[in-house]
Amino acid sequence: MSTLESKALPLFQQYQQTFTAHIRQPRQHARPAGVPAKRMQVYNEIVFNNLFSAVSACYPVLQRVMGKRAWQTLVRRFFAEHQATSPFFRDIPKAFLEFLPLVETLPPFALSLAHYEWIELAIAADDSIAPALTAEGDLLQGVPILAPALAVLAYDYPVQKISARFKPREPLPEPVHLLVFRNQQDEVKFVEMNVMTARLLQLLQPGQMTGLAALQQLGLEIGHAEAAALVSFGGALLEDLRQQQIVWGIAA
Amino acid sequence: MSQAQSHSSIKGAGLGLKRELLPQIQAAHGTDLTQHLDFVEIAPENWIGAGGKYARQLAWFTERYPIVCHGLCLSLGGPDPLNEAFLRQVKQFLDQHQIPLYTEHLSYCTDGGYLYDLLPIPFTEEAVHHVAARIRRTQDILERRIAVENASFYVAAPIAEMDEASFINAVLQEADCDLHLDINNIYVNSVNFGFDPHAFLREMPGERIVYAHIAGHDREAEDLIIDTHGQDVIDPVWQLLREAYALFGVFPTLLERDTNIPPLADAMQEVNHIASLQAAQRNHAQQGLVDALDTKRVSA
Repeated sequence: MSTLESKALPLFQQYQQTFTAHIRQPRQHARPAGVPAKRMQVYNEIVFNNLFSAVSACYPVLQRVMGKRAWQTLVRRFFAEHQATSPFFRDIPKAFLEFLPLVETLPPFALSLAHYEWIELAIAADDSIAPALTAEGDLLQGVPILAPALAVLAYDYPVQKISARFKPREPLPEPVHLLVFRNQQDEVKFVEMNVMTARLLQLLQPGQMTGLAALQQLGLEIGHAEAAALVSFGGALLEDLRQQQIVWGIAA
Repeated sequence: MSQAQSHSSIKGAGLGLKRELLPQIQAAHGTDLTQHLDFVEIAPENWIGAGGKYARQLAWFTERYPIVCHGLCLSLGGPDPLNEAFLRQVKQFLDQHQIPLYTEHLSYCTDGGYLYDLLPIPFTEEAVHHVAARIRRTQDILERRIAVENASFYVAAPIAEMDEASFINAVLQEADCDLHLDINNIYVNSVNFGFDPHAFLREMPGERIVYAHIAGHDREAEDLIIDTHGQDVIDPVWQLLREAYALFGVFPTLLERDTNIPPLADAMQEVNHIASLQAAQRNHAQQGLVDALDTKRVSA
C-alpha cells in the first residue's frame, strides 16, 4: 500500500496495518513504535503457531517427507504471503493446497501428495446429501446413486505409498486411479481401481445415467467389441460397488 | 432498547464443546457426572457447512442441550469490509439449530486476509465508531442482539486514547449490544497491564451482561499471562466470578478449556463449581430478601 493511501487511513488502522505486517513478516516489517519487543513476540509466535498446527494436522506425510526445517519454512512463507479468504478453520488446509503451486522448490510429487492428504479431510466434512433413493433395485435399468461424498481421482505419482523412505523421482507410466468416499457409517475409505471402473464412476456420479447407458457409453469410448460381455461384467461390477457402499442404490 | 435480553433457554453452567470431549459427554449424558451441565458452546466457524459425522454429532447435541454460538472470525475490529456473506450463513445456522445466543470478541483477526487469531484493537475514538457500526450491522443482518466479549491481550497500543473499560463501555453504548463478560480475561489483562481487576469489574455495564466465560491460563512471568485456556481456573478468578454475581446478579456462565484438555470428570468439577457459586449467590440474594422482610416486620 502506498504512503498516500496509508495516510488516508485512521490512525488506529495504520497501527493495525503495521502490527499485522510485523506478525506476518517480523524481519521485513518493524513492529509499531513504542511496543515492547517481548510482548510483540507473543503475537508473532501464537498467531504463526496456530496456523502452523492447523496446516500440519492435515499434511502429516508431506511434512515428514519434506523434513522439519523445510516444512517450517514452507508454512512460514504461506503465512507471510497468503491472504486467506475463508473464516472457516477447515478451509485453512485448502488455502495451503492452493498456495503450493506458487512454490518452485517442492519435490515433484508434492502437489499430488498434498491433494491426496487434503481430500480425506474434505470428504470427511463434505455436506452433500444423497437424493431420494431405493437401496435395492436394478442397477442396470435404474440410475445408480453414488455415495454423495465421493471423488474419483487420478495421480501421476503413487501417492498412497509415499513416505519418508519412498520418495518417487519420476511420475508413473500410467496414473494411479483412486476413489475416495464416505460410507453410510461416515467413515472415509480409499479404493484403488482400474481406469475403466474410474471412468464408469465418473459417468455415474452426476446421477443422470442408467447403469446400462453408462456401460454402453464406456463401451463406445474404449471400443469394446463385445458389448454383451461388457454389460454382464459391468452388472457384476455395479453389484460389487453396492456391496462396498460406493453405490447406495438407484434413484427413487 | 438498552436492557439486556434474557436468552431463556441458556441458564446455569456450561462447557465449551471441544472435539476431544464430545464422546465423553455423549457417554456421560444422563448420569450424575453431567447433571450440572446445562448448556454447551460451539464456534460457528467449526460447524457451519460440516457434514458427515460432524453433522451427526451436532444433531446429537442440539437435541439434548441448549447451545450458544461463540464466534472467532467475525473480526469486529478489523480493517476489511464486514464478511456479510458469512454473517448470512451464521444467521441460517442459528435459525436452523434454534441457537438463541451469538457472541463475538472485541478484537480483530483480519488484515486483508484471515489470521485466525484474536488481535487487540487500539482503544481510540475512531475505533469505537468503527467497531460499533460493525456490531450494529451484524445485529441488523442477524436480526437479533449480539453480545461482545472483553478480550485478553498482550500488547497495549501506545496510541490508545482511553483505557479498556472506557473503550468497552463506549462501544457497547454506541452499538447498543449486550456484554459477554469474560472473567478470566479481566484477570489476565490486569496482570499483563498492571491494573486492579476488581475496580475494572465494577466499571462494567452490569445491565448489559447476558453471559460469562471463566477459564484457566498459563503464567509466563510475574507480569505476563498467556490466555491458553489450558489450566485449571485459579482462585483469584473464581473470586472475581463470585464478586461479579454479587454485583450484577447471576448470569449463565461457561467453562472454556481449549488446550491441555483434561478428562471430562475434571472439567465437570469446575462446571459444578460454577453451578455452586450460582446457587450460593441465589441463596444469598434470597436470604437478603427474607432479612429485609423481617426487618420490615420488626420495624412495623
